[in-house]
Amino acid sequence: MTGYVLRRAALSIGVFVAMAVLTYLGIAALPGDACTALLGKFATAGKLAQCRAEHGLDAPVLQRLGDWMLGLLRGDLGYSVKRSAPVSELIAPRIRNALLLAGVASLLAFPAAIAVGLATGRREQSKVSRAVDSTALVAMTLPEFVTASVLWLVLSVWLPILPAVTVVSSDDSLLDLLPNVWLPAITLAVLVFAHVMRSMRASVSATSRRPFADAARLRGVPERAVVRRHILPASLPPTVNVVAVTAAWLLTGTFVVEVVFNYPGLGRLAVDAIADRDTDLILALTLLGLGVFIVASFLADTVIRLLDPRVRAGVGRA
Amino acid sequence: MTAVNAAPAATVVAWRRRWLSVGAVVVAAHLLLAVFVPLLPLQSPTAQDATAVLQGMSRAHWLGTDDLGRDVLSRTLWGGRPSIGIAFGAALLAALLGVLIGTAAALAGGWLDDVLMRVNDVLLALPSLLVLMLVASFIGRQPVVLMVTLAVMYAPPIARLVRGATLGVLGRDFVVAARLRGARSAEIVTREVLPNIRGVVITEVAMQFSWILLAFSSLSFLGLGTAPPTPEWGLMVAGARTYITVNALPLVAPMVMLASLVLAVNSLIDRSALEDHP
Repeated sequence: MTGYVLRRAALSIGVFVAMAVLTYLGIAALPGDACTALLGKFATAGKLAQCRAEHGLDAPVLQRLGDWMLGLLRGDLGYSVKRSAPVSELIAPRIRNALLLAGVASLLAFPAAIAVGLATGRREQSKVSRAVDSTALVAMTLPEFVTASVLWLVLSVWLPILPAVTVVSSDDSLLDLLPNVWLPAITLAVLVFAHVMRSMRASVSATSRRPFADAARLRGVPERAVVRRHILPASLPPTVNVVAVTAAWLLTGTFVVEVVFNYPGLGRLAVDAIADRDTDLILALTLLGLGVFIVASFLADTVIRLLDPRVRAGVGRA
Repeated sequence: MTAVNAAPAATVVAWRRRWLSVGAVVVAAHLLLAVFVPLLPLQSPTAQDATAVLQGMSRAHWLGTDDLGRDVLSRTLWGGRPSIGIAFGAALLAALLGVLIGTAAALAGGWLDDVLMRVNDVLLALPSLLVLMLVASFIGRQPVVLMVTLAVMYAPPIARLVRGATLGVLGRDFVVAARLRGARSAEIVTREVLPNIRGVVITEVAMQFSWILLAFSSLSFLGLGTAPPTPEWGLMVAGARTYITVNALPLVAPMVMLASLVLAVNSLIDRSALEDHP
């Protein structure tokens, strides 16, 4: 197990470095940079050259890549030309806010999704089970801004339960932020619930038809114990993967929902940074998203190994 | 594969039932509207009227007006054109790319298959909305640019499905017979493979169409897709949020249109067929 964890960690770091290099080169290959964005229509050849020299953008791309990677090792995420501030200062409060939003949404969604998936997966053909599944499908197929706007209309305009307008700055205290976290968190929880619940439902329905479940029933094991000891452990691994991916998405991929509710998290910062062509900030946010995603899938693989003795022993490998 | 095994009678019945379904009618209505809306006797979707701002329903403006006094009914009916047009073009292009890459990978095998599928995996792993925002901001939001980007981002799942389905057909007797007859690869693809995988491919392309529609309207919502003052659903929703307490119609109308289209497209998709044969 320790050997596996170390090998898997080394692989994750390798993937991270490779993706970081590709991301840097990819963004460098796009036309336009921080200086064209900053100067906008006032850009003249002279001004552009001066701005690029000032921010070290006139060096060859590989040299800039090297400097950027060395900076990362020292913990220097770069400098936002547009916002005249170090990237780390811009990101730090947003990480805290993103953690709050992702935490609340996770608490609302994951336990409920696994419980409902388990309950409906065992009676896949029942009317309730199918109705829950179709509703989840609708939630998954609607655009995020539509789901968000509907919840907003209902919960804060028509039945004013929650604050309608978010007027908080990114470094307000968590307590000030708390009233504003509910609407985005509920919206995200609905989407995450749908994905995780459907995965769990499919997985439970597949495992409860497997021979070992029937064998346990025939041995006279009570149904509750069959579910707890046989069906649940065998159904969890695929869902653990979905949970990991959606948790990573909650932390860094919630562009639309954060914009709808004006929530000062990482997603809205990313949208603003991209619109401003603020390259250093975009790079740092992309890298952060990538890192979160890689760590999440590393954790998921490790947990699955702990849960599933077959994977641990390497039995039944494809 | 499904297309080979399924009894033809059952397929025909299922298709007829599906054609008659509500979903088909709604999708058809949306497509017809997108094509023929210029012929309808509507007010201009971009004409502003400072004397009639944020009005409710009236005889002059059936769905009221927005913050610039523009007719909401007209904007809502026009608002599907950019997204449907771009999503339609991008889905067709993605289907073309997906079929070419998928059949090429399946037929060639070996290193070409490996290279194509690894590139495919990388594209699948990229967050498409992030890539779209970057392209729109750095390269430009011209419809052609966005359409091509969308096609490239949404072709990989089609390519993967086509490759798998093609491999399933290639081993069958009628393909072997065609080979023995001396048929060339191109002929095998067009005469033997494509007719047999048509069903699953069309379903997959329809699914990608609905994802592309979502991606593009989200991009517009974020201010990086369609540029104002062109009416577009995502853009209208984004603009209408600020005065929601005064008039909710400019927010609700485009949302109803977009939701009805997306749900109708999805109701036509036989998801179970796709989930059983990934």
